Amino acid sequence: MRPMLNLNDLHATVGEGDEAKPILKGLSLEVPAGEVHAIMGPNGAGKSTLSYVLTGREGYEVTSGSATLEGADILDMAPEARAAAGLFLSFQYPVEIPGVPVMTFVRTAMNAQRKARGEDEVSAPDFIKKAREIGGQLNLTADMLKRPLNVGFSGGEKKRLEIFQMMMLEPRFAILDETDSGLDIDALKTVAEGVNVLRAPERGMLVITHYQRLLDHIKPDKVHVLSAGRIVKTGGPELALRLEEEGYDGVIGEAA
Amino acid sequence: MATDLKSIITNANTTELELVARYAMRGEDPRRERAFSAFAATGLPHRRMEAWRWSDFRAALPMLEAPKGTPNADPFAALQGPVIEINASRYILPSDLPVGLRILERPDADAFSRAEEMPLGALTAALAGRKGAASGLAIEVTEPVAEPLRIIARSERAEANLARISVIVRPGAHIDLVESHLGGAGLSSFLLDFTLQEGASATRTLYQNGAGDEAQAITANIRSASAARYAQTALAFGARITRIETHLTHQETGSQAVLNAAYLAASGRHVDFTSHIRHGAEACTTRQLTKGAVLDGGRGIFQGKFMVPRGVGQRTDAAMQHHALLLEDGAEVFAKPELEIYADDVECAHGNTCGALDNNQLFYMRQRGIPEHEAKAMLTQAFVAEAFDQAPDFASEILLSTAQTWLGANKAIA
Repeated sequence: MRPMLNLNDLHATVGEGDEAKPILKGLSLEVPAGEVHAIMGPNGAGKSTLSYVLTGREGYEVTSGSATLEGADILDMAPEARAAAGLFLSFQYPVEIPGVPVMTFVRTAMNAQRKARGEDEVSAPDFIKKAREIGGQLNLTADMLKRPLNVGFSGGEKKRLEIFQMMMLEPRFAILDETDSGLDIDALKTVAEGVNVLRAPERGMLVITHYQRLLDHIKPDKVHVLSAGRIVKTGGPELALRLEEEGYDGVIGEAA
Repeated sequence: MATDLKSIITNANTTELELVARYAMRGEDPRRERAFSAFAATGLPHRRMEAWRWSDFRAALPMLEAPKGTPNADPFAALQGPVIEINASRYILPSDLPVGLRILERPDADAFSRAEEMPLGALTAALAGRKGAASGLAIEVTEPVAEPLRIIARSERAEANLARISVIVRPGAHIDLVESHLGGAGLSSFLLDFTLQEGASATRTLYQNGAGDEAQAITANIRSASAARYAQTALAFGARITRIETHLTHQETGSQAVLNAAYLAASGRHVDFTSHIRHGAEACTTRQLTKGAVLDGGRGIFQGKFMVPRGVGQRTDAAMQHHALLLEDGAEVFAKPELEIYADDVECAHGNTCGALDNNQLFYMRQRGIPEHEAKAMLTQAFVAEAFDQAPDFASEILLSTAQTWLGANKAIA
């Protein structure tokens, strides 16, 4: 199968000028359409750096290698162009946007993406209908969706709002960065159900996580172990279980 | 012109000589003379005067010339209600007035007790109106008035537009005043005397937008009596130089005031919000919030002062907030918040910040597909919107959409 996301020998630094620190050191990865891959790794392995490099955050510089989404080089695109091309990041730490209600924010984002792709704007009734439906699935009330985005929401509610945005925007490729952190077991199930609803033959996903427990609910097709800026081991779902039992040291030590 | 008049201002520039000539043309009047002498003591305010260090009118107005362009559009044009128009120092009165509202034309100059503290107010007190026509207007509000009273200051390529209006709101009465300062004169200066008697209430909504070759001054002197309520909301875009100065005195117990403002300054625009609130009686409340956003080449100024005297100012409850966004390199904001508190049983809060938009917020919005300039406009709009919260319902939406239009038009913020 043709890979949807293709990362080849990616090297990237964080920071400016003399302060620039190499974090990704030759990362290669392929995720085909229709598959969900998990990336696991210890603290400092480069998990969050990978998500920011792929989405184009300032301060993260790719020094060599390539990253393509459905054959298109995403590294040259502005963050908003990558989003319009179908790339979505569920943030580890969702950002508060004071004064902008959730509904206004998502509708602005959806229409901006549509405009960039040359599509018509979504109609207000269609948008509201879809938002109510998806909000209901995620236990987000209409009242919550009228409040400013992420302002005054609990950690779990913020993560559910990330999934809400993902389900509304229906990206081609989603990266979930530590979506399980800060979630209790019920919220984790709700979030996982939302993710599973989006599993589709034409969509790819990369789930970045520290722990195995999210993968009990979102079954990955492949698990990659990221250590010191490279993928050091790749396997099936059983690899996540082994990591849980033996720890990163055991599994990485064997790979090295 | 008499020799003593020519030298009344030391080292006068061409504008000041022109103002002296205009004064000489007016009839003898001791109140006019006192006001003009107070102005002449300093001339046009300049940077060597502490209260004007960032707003140098003398330097900005070397000559009194008509501006090249036409005045700006009035965002409140669709509002119902009586309209007073001020055009090149001439007052045009509404033909019909609602119940509870009276307007009198004053032939002579009225006294201006704060002349020494407010040089441009003093100038306006001396020169408001035209020779042989009304010097100023006196408005009396005797009961609650349902429709807003609009004042539109708009000239057509005039050298000057100088006007003075006094408003007295009788006990228990209410008025919504809506001012549009649209420019069209080299020097526009408006002086408002506002008196709220016991239990009276008023809102003042102020819109200002001038061109890059105009100077504008809007000076208000407000006195608030027992249990009176006053709420002011301003939206200003500046001009070559603009000073919006508000002095408010809580004169009796339980008076409440809100003074909110937003300024949006593009390149070549200068906006100065200066205020002085005196808590001259017990248990009075002041809430002041000023929000600003400035582009490269624009300049915003906030000078706020709360004065709480010993003895009379007990149980004062006051808060002063000024927050500004520097949207680009080259934007300038100067702030001088001052609290002078001599009473001991007082709650006085203040906050003052100045910075750029949050990069985390911008990246988050762009990751969702919102282009950078649109993300900046949304964040800036959300930032200034709080300043319009206390405006009357009929005005807050108009202020917000006017701010939004400016933000949308300034793609430069990307």
